Amino acid sequence: MKQLLLRLEPIIWLLFGAGLALGTMLLTGFVLVVGLAIPLDFVSADALAYDRAHALASNFVGRLFLLGLIALPLWKGAHHIRSLLLDFGGESRDGAVGTLLYLLAAVGSVAGILAVVRL
Amino acid sequence: MAGAAHPEAMTPRKKGPTRTAPPMMPATWWSAPRIRVYLLFGATGFVYLLMGFLVLRLAWALGRGPVAWEAALSSLANPLYILFHLIVLVSLIGVGVRAFGKMMPKMQPRGGPLPVLPPGAVRGVIYGAWAVITIFMVLVLSGGIL
Repeated sequence: MKQLLLRLEPIIWLLFGAGLALGTMLLTGFVLVVGLAIPLDFVSADALAYDRAHALASNFVGRLFLLGLIALPLWKGAHHIRSLLLDFGGESRDGAVGTLLYLLAAVGSVAGILAVVRL
Repeated sequence: MAGAAHPEAMTPRKKGPTRTAPPMMPATWWSAPRIRVYLLFGATGFVYLLMGFLVLRLAWALGRGPVAWEAALSSLANPLYILFHLIVLVSLIGVGVRAFGKMMPKMQPRGGPLPVLPPGAVRGVIYGAWAVITIFMVLVLSGGIL
């Protein structure tokens, strides 16, 4: 398993790097509005009423943004958790832990693709 | 008098691992500020992973129709979600400052065809892109534009 992870490392690092850079840039505005401003009533919930939210998310660019908001943080998260567990748990379990985390990110990414396709 | 030793005389017959011991976290990691910051940076992975799945949940709800979407959106008013989003925001700023402000300016390829820019210029470009994307997202999502 460790060998497979080593072989996939360039792809994993690409997704991790994209998650760290683009994921951070995309998520900041999203969290400010969807996670904080709307729930705290600083912004009217009508801004993301179903029709408008669907119109924003269902065009090509909207789908790309939404997929980026789903998949990129998953890969950044999976890789960082792996490196954190590597620091504390050593290398003995890294193959299994890394595989499990990347599998989680991959499943989430596939579910994200399905979610944006069926919009 | 013996002749000069062969330069490869001490080379082991078989190539072995160069690492003598696996790296280990020092037991006093909690008292070392540098390690704490490094670990906090890694721990943001939990926050990002959860956030990715939360956006996935919202996307699924949007695909299921107006009732599911309104329910998912109104569930975010729960104080636990608001607390979580505050933690996400702090994590995003922490990751941004560390990665964009400290790490990326030092990661420029040297010796290639492109000039190496001063760290301040790189920092300014990346922070500028972050600000533009954030303002764009805020305006779009809050109904300011589009």
